[in-house]
Amino acid sequence: MVNENLVKDVVKEPYKYGFVTDIETEKIEKGLNEDIIKLISQKKEEPKFLLDFRLKAFKKWQKMKEPDWAALGYKKIDYQDIIYYSAPKQKEKISSLDEVDPKLLETFDKLGIPLTEQKKLTNVAVDAVFDSVSIATTFREELAEHGVIFCSISEAVKNHADLIEKYLGTVVPASDNYFAALNSAVFSDGSFVYIPKGVTCPMDLSSYFRINSGDSGQFERTLIIAEESSSVSYLEGCTAPMFDTNTLHAAVVELIALDDASIKYSTVQNWYAGDEEGIGGIFNFVTKRGKCLGKRSKISWSQVETGSAITWKYPSCLLLGEESIGEFYSVALTNNLQQADTGTKMIHIGAKTKSTIVSKGISAGKSKNSYRGLVKMGTKATGSRNYSQCDSMLIGDQASANTFPYIKSQQPNSEIEHEASTCRISEDQLFYLQSRGIEFEEAVSMMVSGFCRDVFNQLPMEFAAEADKLLALKLEGSVG
Amino acid sequence: MEIIEKIKTNKSDDDLTEIQKICLHKLQSSPLPNPKSELWRLSNKSKLSTFLDYSVNKKDSKFDIPYPKNSQSTIRLIIGENFQINLIEKDYSIQQLSQDELQKYVKEQISFFKPNENWSDLLNLSLSCKNNILGLKINGSKIPPIEIFSHASSNSLNAKTLVIFLEKNCEIELLQVNLGKENSSLSQSTFFCLKENSSVNHGVVSYGENRSNLLNSLNVIQQKNSAYNLGSLHFKFNYARFEISIKQSAGNAKTNIKGMQITKKDEQISTYTKIEFNGPNGFLDQINKSLADDKSHAIFEGSIIVPKIAQRTDASQLSRNLLLSNLAQIDTKPQLEIIADDVKCKHGATISQLNEEELFYMRTRGITLTEASKLQLSSYFQEIISFIPISKDKWDLLDKLLNEN
Repeated sequence: MVNENLVKDVVKEPYKYGFVTDIETEKIEKGLNEDIIKLISQKKEEPKFLLDFRLKAFKKWQKMKEPDWAALGYKKIDYQDIIYYSAPKQKEKISSLDEVDPKLLETFDKLGIPLTEQKKLTNVAVDAVFDSVSIATTFREELAEHGVIFCSISEAVKNHADLIEKYLGTVVPASDNYFAALNSAVFSDGSFVYIPKGVTCPMDLSSYFRINSGDSGQFERTLIIAEESSSVSYLEGCTAPMFDTNTLHAAVVELIALDDASIKYSTVQNWYAGDEEGIGGIFNFVTKRGKCLGKRSKISWSQVETGSAITWKYPSCLLLGEESIGEFYSVALTNNLQQADTGTKMIHIGAKTKSTIVSKGISAGKSKNSYRGLVKMGTKATGSRNYSQCDSMLIGDQASANTFPYIKSQQPNSEIEHEASTCRISEDQLFYLQSRGIEFEEAVSMMVSGFCRDVFNQLPMEFAAEADKLLALKLEGSVG
Repeated sequence: MEIIEKIKTNKSDDDLTEIQKICLHKLQSSPLPNPKSELWRLSNKSKLSTFLDYSVNKKDSKFDIPYPKNSQSTIRLIIGENFQINLIEKDYSIQQLSQDELQKYVKEQISFFKPNENWSDLLNLSLSCKNNILGLKINGSKIPPIEIFSHASSNSLNAKTLVIFLEKNCEIELLQVNLGKENSSLSQSTFFCLKENSSVNHGVVSYGENRSNLLNSLNVIQQKNSAYNLGSLHFKFNYARFEISIKQSAGNAKTNIKGMQITKKDEQISTYTKIEFNGPNGFLDQINKSLADDKSHAIFEGSIIVPKIAQRTDASQLSRNLLLSNLAQIDTKPQLEIIADDVKCKHGATISQLNEEELFYMRTRGITLTEASKLQLSSYFQEIISFIPISKDKWDLLDKLLNEN
């Protein structure tokens, strides 16, 4: 038998991103009403169409009910007790990174995010979002040479209003769900990417989200448009300080891929998960959806979810274009009292569309980890195929793993395959590794990493290494 | 919907039994199932209301079993025919449950029932009068095969209930046949209690005629070391729901389920299963097949619940579906809810049409497309039919499925 105490000792690495940056911020008062929305819009000097979009979304949100179907239990959120806009105080306009508050730069340095363009080593362009506002975007000029637009969404609203007006809310409509409506009403910033026709983005794009205030929610919005025959790989990382209170994070991500375009969207989510008693942590309610509008377009989601007290997230693909492809690769790890209800939706609408789902869930401690997915073949999806695989691993006898795959077909000339399994770390394998002189912890971490390999292979290289390390850290002390 | 009105107004007649009163009372807060709940979301509302539209039948017309008796040794029973069963042979006994035993058991079961989740059972028990409840206690060895029939008369809503106690170390083969006549509704609830070391091969064959409807629910409790094998087949119903709930009350039990539903025209047939393991070393092997043609709709939802106590559970669930027409629809949703860590659980689901390569192979050997499809279907059906005990040959189920469908 594996020594349970040993296992418990292994996962106790403290959350290393839990510091708070002491910086002057501009916050508006708590609460949510039409005036607050108008104030946010005014602060951001937004055009009228956007204010209308927000107000319409707010009206819809007021009529909606918070969803309760997920296998999650959390105390009721008081939406009037949240600050909907918080931004680091800085000079009116920043022309270069030198003008950004050094404390902010220091924060991102601590997090290991290179914001200065001298640090070209990684060749990744970064958009850093601190609380609700994007503070810096790197490599802009080089990207502009290729015609790629990569900026904060507030800037895009000012400089590329036509694109925003054309695409915002077309993939995730304001009335889509409770949290998407809330986000549509109050979103403060986020990233905007536009890849013109025929361009392969010369470097990976990355945005880094940091929540700093304990009482403000983060509502960012990301919009990525890939024109015909273009391609882009986008990375997203998230951290937050440790607070005893729960912070709400309700983001919306919209991806649009036209003919022959491809978008790869990778996330390493490491929001603060709360302590061992389940106090504090981020409530992560995210709506992510991609639309394969064009023929032969491709959207690929890969995610490593290790943080957040509550995760409610279903990155989806609407496969409209003929022969379009949707992919979803996910590792979700929960420990202590974390709860995750995550999965994907693959909606096959066009003919000969293909989708692949690979989901790996690891639950340790007293956590709850659910996979919830939908695969739907519409009446016109002839010759379409789906393959799904979801595996769960249980560590310890107090964690739970649920699988709710939902499959619906209206097209006889299509094929759907689904398999799922649940297992635990096999004692035989552990024994084998240990008898070869490999330490217990390392053996466990090797096995977890092997379990997740299908997904890690899909991550961009730097992320894959980080994800592996992250998983090992998160699991330390919980294996039994 | 006479019955729903009756529930709403809470008019309780004096001739109602205690169980009927309790169930009516439980239903009062929500006389109809919640159409938004996961269990009823896909259920066709207008078909359900057709089910409820017929008036309740209190006295059955004479029923002739449409099939010859296989052999003298088979025991045949018809629910609703007022008879006393008291078979005491050298090796075994089959006796009717006393009113007290029956009431006690059913009342205990009802106490766990929730209005939405167990709506079909509550409706059944609130409608089914004394004559239509058959309670049996089976004991001993070398028990001959048993056939039990439930039928619905035309233009009426019929409720039949079956309660069976299988005593320790008992082994039986039981075939339950539910027949729906033209324009009829049948509500059939079955309660099965398997005591320690008992084993049953249970077959459920339900088929209707033109526009018949069925709500069929099956509640099984398995005690230690019992084995429950279920082979089921549902076809030719305008609307049918088959709800299976199996509880391995102390684990260490074996459950095998092979079920199939076939839908044609604009029929809707659904199967909902819920398997709970309340002890260690449980075993489950489940396969559910659906075939949907024309404009029909087939649904399967299966949940497996493995709490912490159920260590070393080995459960697998497979949902295989054939979608044969552009206008037909299949929904399938396997579910695993697992808390115990030392378990082996897996599930799989596929939706496709007939295998083209196999068809092509047969056609190159001179077999016509129709014949080749029939061959493929017969192998698809055979896996389930061969699992249904007793009369599987005599009933010509395969022929029925291939030629009538």
